[in-house]
Parts: sequence; structure tokens; C-alpha cells
Amino acid sequence: MLYLIVFTIVYLTIIIYLSYLGYKKTTTVSDYLLAGRQVNPIIMSLSYGSTYISTSAIIGFGGISALYGFSMSWLASLNIIIGVLIAFVVFGKRTRKMGKALDAHTFPELLGRRYNSRFIQGFSGFVILFFMPVYTAAILIGISRFIEVYLKVPFATALLVFLLINACYVIWGGLKGVLYTSAFQGIIMIVVMIIIGATTYMLAGGIVEGHKGLTSMTSYIPQDLLSGGHNGFTSFPRAGSPVWWSVITTMIMGVGIGVLGQPQLNVRFMTLKSDRELNRSIPFTAIYILFTTGIAFAVGALTNVIFYKSTGKLAIESVSGNVDKIIPLYIDMFYPQWFVAIFLVTLMSAAMSANSAQFLALGASLSRDIFEQALLKGKSVAETTIVTRIGIVFSIFATLILGLLMPEGIVAVATAFFFSLCGATFIPAYLFGLYSRRGTKTAAKASILCGFFSSLIWMFFFHENESRAIGICRFFFGQDSLVSHPFNVIDPQVIALPISFIIFVVVSYLTEPVGQDVIKRAFRHI
Amino acid sequence: MLGFPDIWIFLGYILTPISTIICLIYGFVNWKKGIDEKDGDYREEIRWEREEIELIEKLP
Repeated sequence: MLYLIVFTIVYLTIIIYLSYLGYKKTTTVSDYLLAGRQVNPIIMSLSYGSTYISTSAIIGFGGISALYGFSMSWLASLNIIIGVLIAFVVFGKRTRKMGKALDAHTFPELLGRRYNSRFIQGFSGFVILFFMPVYTAAILIGISRFIEVYLKVPFATALLVFLLINACYVIWGGLKGVLYTSAFQGIIMIVVMIIIGATTYMLAGGIVEGHKGLTSMTSYIPQDLLSGGHNGFTSFPRAGSPVWWSVITTMIMGVGIGVLGQPQLNVRFMTLKSDRELNRSIPFTAIYILFTTGIAFAVGALTNVIFYKSTGKLAIESVSGNVDKIIPLYIDMFYPQWFVAIFLVTLMSAAMSANSAQFLALGASLSRDIFEQALLKGKSVAETTIVTRIGIVFSIFATLILGLLMPEGIVAVATAFFFSLCGATFIPAYLFGLYSRRGTKTAAKASILCGFFSSLIWMFFFHENESRAIGICRFFFGQDSLVSHPFNVIDPQVIALPISFIIFVVVSYLTEPVGQDVIKRAFRHI
Repeated sequence: MLGFPDIWIFLGYILTPISTIICLIYGFVNWKKGIDEKDGDYREEIRWEREEIELIEKLP
């Protein structure tokens, strides 16, 4: 406890100082939302990385790796290939240039101005405002589970206290505050994760021995998982089985691809001054992702060997089925107390940086996208920063309520839900908006609406993971899903993303392109 | 294969550092590229700043 108090005080002092620094340097709206578009590449990488990889990746997906094993290493690879290389090179460069040409401050504003549509901006803002809290809550649950395990306090208390601490600095700091603090948080995260990775492999008996040890544990896997298609922690699940569909379409593809439509990440590209800064950010971000998710997923899988050696149980059995508790319990049981305290501070930092960026994106959605566009019909007013803060407060409350209501073992599922929803809703309109002059306003609207609603319908009535939790399908039809295997385990994004792509292309050919003046302005720097 | 019996798992495992190396190469090859912006950038910056100043003046 003493360690925790000392580390937390040191950590919070630095965070408060950095937030104050951000607050002092925040004078304009673009400072508040885009950090003045002059961000250093290393700070950009660390803040992008720490927004992308949060407690949800470490606690939620670390726990999922303990359940499904090394199949999740594909997600780590996709996180780097798609989440860094493709996101920065294919999307990032043009997002930055177009964002600047169109004077866009938020991701919905970029889409709205590119297609000259207030509806697109308002609706995208609405999607973010009402659905991002699910992801925000998932991150918060991740850290609160750790506090619950470590400090033995009730989960609800942990959630409330942490949310209050987090709320304080994001409301005042703006993006500059968030950037400084997330860069600092990113550094702590890398160091701690390297230590955990190295020690876990040591405890498991080395790289090759650890993997072999894990392979030998296949026979201990619970029968329901084996019959669902689980082939062991070092083999891919049986092709076409429920576990295979879930691992491939929801965990690996849902999150791996969905990252491209994440508003709180895309807005980061607009903070950079030139493509040179963007190029320079790529290596640092990739290293960050490698050391965080790469290590977290490997550690997650290897916890099975270590738990079994000392308790005779697999990781999932040690936590009575709540995957979100696996990593917290592992750290708590096998590391010295001072290190557990450091890890907790690291997680707090990860959760704070991701949550704060989300709260900021949420606030901006309310003020610039919904308030200014939908309510004031495009008028810009001085109260924008105040409305942003109101939006942040609203989203904090929404997060608190969702955090208390969501069931156990939900972190990875809720994260995948939001990534998948954003992917299907935004990716086609965003990609064509950056590359095609032919894409039309009607096509963008149709694609966004179809992507969004087909995702939701699939989640409510077909994909059992969500439909069971939501319960609407059972209420109306008396069953959890209207379809049988394999459709009930196929992730919504796999269905909705192609639909929204096709809709965009077809409608674009049938309708008139956006006015030449808008196109000329949008592609001015490209 | 590093103790993995399944080639797909082995590939996923080594693809993670390989993709990091690709990113490193990309970043360092293009380290100095991308600084030349097209004409008109500064005018835009100036307009942007002017708008911001006007907005600040409106603040209570």
C-alpha cells in the first residue's frame, strides 16, 4: 500500500504539472482540439500509441490471449501493419493535408466538409457521442478490475474514484495537456511492459521452453472450449468452428481493421505540421505497439504455464471465468508488491491517456459536430470550448453508468464492438473521401447509414455475443440469434463493412459528385 | 519453430517484429521527406490565426 501511495503521488504530481503546462499553452480552439497543429513526431507516436493501446489491450486482450493462446499474435501484427503502417501512410498523410485544407478540427468535421454535408458531420458526431462511451467504459473497467484485485476495494468504488481523477485533468488540459501526459504515460508503459515480458518468459522457462510448455497443456483446456474448436494455446482454432470465427472475425479482424475508423486516433494526424513528422512518427509508434500489445498478448498466453505450475489450474479457471481478472491476478500473485504498484500506476496512465483522448473526442463531437452543425446550422461561436467541456462531462457520466452496468469479462468484447461499429460506419466514406474525387455526398450518407445500421441490426439480432447481452432478440423472438452457426458467430464488421463499401461505390455512380469548388479545396494540398 | 507446433501461430508471432522492422525501414528511409508543402499554406496559416484571434476577442 505504501508503495502504491508513493508511486501514485509521484505520478500524479508529474501528470498535474504536465496538464498545467498544456492548460497554460492552450489559448485557441485549435490549441484545445489539435494542439496548434505543431506536434513533435515522438510525442505524436507516444500519444497515438498510448491512446490506441490502453488497459483494454493489456487487461482485456491479455486476458483473451490467456483464453485463446498465441492466435492473438496475429492481432499484434495487424495492430502494426494496419494500425500503424497503413493508418499513417495510406490514411494519415491525406487526412493531415485534407484536414488542413478544409480547416477541420474533428474527424466528423473532416468527413462533413469533404462531402459538404452537415448531416454527415452531425450524424458521425452522434455515433461517437452515443457509442464511444461503451469503449471508454471498457477501458475504465479494465483498470478498475485491477484496483479491485490489488487493493481489495469494491469494483464500483474503484471505478468511481478513478473516473473522478481522470475527469479532472482532461476537462482543463485540452489536447495539449492530453498529448504531454500521454507521451509521459507512453514511456512508463514501454519500460514496464518490457520488464513484464522478460520476467514472464523467464518464469515460463525461456522462449522455446515456454511455448512447448504451453503446447503440452492442451489436454487441460475445459471441455466446452475444446468442443467449440479450441486446439490448444499454440495452435490456431479448428477452421470454421465457433472459436475460430470468434477469434478471427471479432478479435483479430474486428479490432485489427476497425482501428482505421477510430475518430480519436484519426484526429491525431491533423496535429502534425508536415508529412515529414508523420514519416518520423511511424517507427516510434510501431516500436510502442510491439512492446505493448506484442508483449501483453504473449504474456497473456504464457500465464497458463505459470498459473498451472503454482496452482494446478489454468488462468481462466483461476479467475472463475472472468477473463478481465487474469492479468491483474497474475501480476498480483507473481510479482513483488512494489512492482505491482508500479504496474497499477502504468495501467492508470494507460487508461487515463486513452480515456482522456476519448473524452476530448466526445466533447468535440458535441460542440463542433452536433452543437455547431446540427443546432446552429454551421455558425461558429465563442462558446465552443465551453460546450466541449459540457460534452466531456456528459460522456464521463455516460461512461460511469455503462461501467457499472456492463457484465463481467466484457472489456475485449466492448472494445471489439466499438472498433467494429466505427470500421463499418466510417472506413468507406473516409477512404474514398481521401482518394476519390468522384465520391458523392449521397453515397457517403448512404454508406455511413448502411454501415451503421447493418452493424447494429447484426449485433441486435444475429451476432450472439452482443445479441445475448442486449436481449432485444430474445424479447421479440424468444431466442438469442435469428440465425444458426456459423452466422451467429460472424462479427458484424465482416458483414457491414462490405455492405457500406458496395453502397458507396454503387450510389456514387448513380448520383452527382460533390461541387467542384469543394473538391478543389479539399484536394488543394494533395 | 520457436516451440510452436502450428506454422500459422509461428508466422503470426514472427510477423509482429517483422512488421515493426518494416515500419522502422519506412520511417528512416523517408526521414527527411515530406517537408515541401504546396503553395498557399502560409496564407492559410495566417487566415487561421486571424480567425482564432477574432474568436478570442469575442470571449468574455
